[in-house]
Amino acid sequence: MGLLDGLRAVLGLRAETDAGRDADPDDLFGMSTAYLTMEADLGYESLDVGALCFSGVDSRDFRDAVDEVEAILEAGQEETGTDFSVTEDGHGYHWVVLADDDPEDLITSMHFAADTFIEHGYGSRLLAAVFAYRDRDGPAYWIYSFRRGRFYPFVPRDGRERDSSAEFTLESALDGELEIESEKDYWYPLWPSERGTHPWE
Amino acid sequence: MNWQADWGLRARMFVTMFLLFALYIVFAGALTFYIGGGLWLFAVLFASFSLVQYYFSDTLTLKSMGAKTVSADEYPQLHASIERLSQQADLPKPKVAVVDSKVPNAFATGRNQRNAAVCVTTGIMNTLDQDELDGVLAHELAHVKNRDMMVMTIASFLSTIAFMIVRWGAFFGGGHGRGREGGGGGIIVAILVSLVVWIISYLLIRALSRYREFAADRGAAAITGNPSALASALLKISGEMDKVPKDDLREEAEMNAFFIIPIKSGIVGRLFSTHPSTERRVERLRELEREIQSF
Repeated sequence: MGLLDGLRAVLGLRAETDAGRDADPDDLFGMSTAYLTMEADLGYESLDVGALCFSGVDSRDFRDAVDEVEAILEAGQEETGTDFSVTEDGHGYHWVVLADDDPEDLITSMHFAADTFIEHGYGSRLLAAVFAYRDRDGPAYWIYSFRRGRFYPFVPRDGRERDSSAEFTLESALDGELEIESEKDYWYPLWPSERGTHPWE
Repeated sequence: MNWQADWGLRARMFVTMFLLFALYIVFAGALTFYIGGGLWLFAVLFASFSLVQYYFSDTLTLKSMGAKTVSADEYPQLHASIERLSQQADLPKPKVAVVDSKVPNAFATGRNQRNAAVCVTTGIMNTLDQDELDGVLAHELAHVKNRDMMVMTIASFLSTIAFMIVRWGAFFGGGHGRGREGGGGGIIVAILVSLVVWIISYLLIRALSRYREFAADRGAAAITGNPSALASALLKISGEMDKVPKDDLREEAEMNAFFIIPIKSGIVGRLFSTHPSTERRVERLRELEREIQSF
């Protein structure tokens, strides 16, 4: 905790400033080499889908921002071929779900979407970016936390269990390639609402 | 989504803390002057008392409230909400506890972010809808983030000493006039000084606590992006919602003559309360909501 952080805490401002801090979507590009490592070295197959999780703000301006994200993705669809949809999950969080079998295009589209939120001043509403993989044991995700600016693995199993050894393998294999969250306290799960589905479904 | 900084709030908090510390410096000076070495006994005694309180605050508070730590299996929705809100607040996930009580309430405890616990009553979960509950949970997480437990423990520490001296000072030495010549007189002065310090610090700490509530409300609004939900939760909890009439105005018109204006607590009530009134908190949240809407 730096001096400024300490001062913020003493004045009771940390919650406000930290929750309102903007995201830096450039980190998402770190995922492009990770795709290669995941497939070549670890035997994980890309599910060719990624998603941005954000919490909404109940205002017209925010709805305009979401509209523009959709417009930009629609315009980019011709060039990149990225399919997308905007959904809401059971927790009231919103998702931009993107599908593209070219990881580069997937990441570029995701970056566009995140950037548009930031341009509209809603960077602080971005919660996470999720990249989906699968191996023979089931799905595995890389989650990028916009709040922390770090990636961490999430391998859900039936019954809200996490496969911590698989997560450990992913962490060690991608360490150096991705900016990995070193504090496991922040490895927040994003549980799918039902088994066999993704967190955004 | 950055609304205007509340400089008034910051300034008031700063001035209050400044006054508290100025008061304590004067207090410590006066005590050493009048009773010299005797101060150390109190200081050590209450330092250890406060330390114990501080280090075990999370478990102690939960125990005293009859709260039970609950797992994600028992309360999946509650856990999921706290997880995502902590993520947004950039906090490690705190312990989650539940009190079986009909009274709608929630609190946070713990000396730092890693030992924090957020506790809600079953009553609040039944009373509020999901958005409102999220607002309340975010408010508690903001307390954790703002280190309110630490700030208030430190702020209250010397106030506790002053209180103890007032309470026990006479008992320990006042009446017997033992020890050095004139020691009795010194102790009486010390007790009087302590009394004044205790009263002033009591009021300042109450004020500080109210400012922390406002700060936590703003933090919660920043975490959820939804000031209205917290406002409506506060109104529901305080029962203000019940005052909003549900009957048609036209049917009520004849009754209007009999309506009574609720008696507002005066300035004395405000000085002594730890929480700002719901109306004032809601009014500030309304300002944030207006700022969101006017973007």
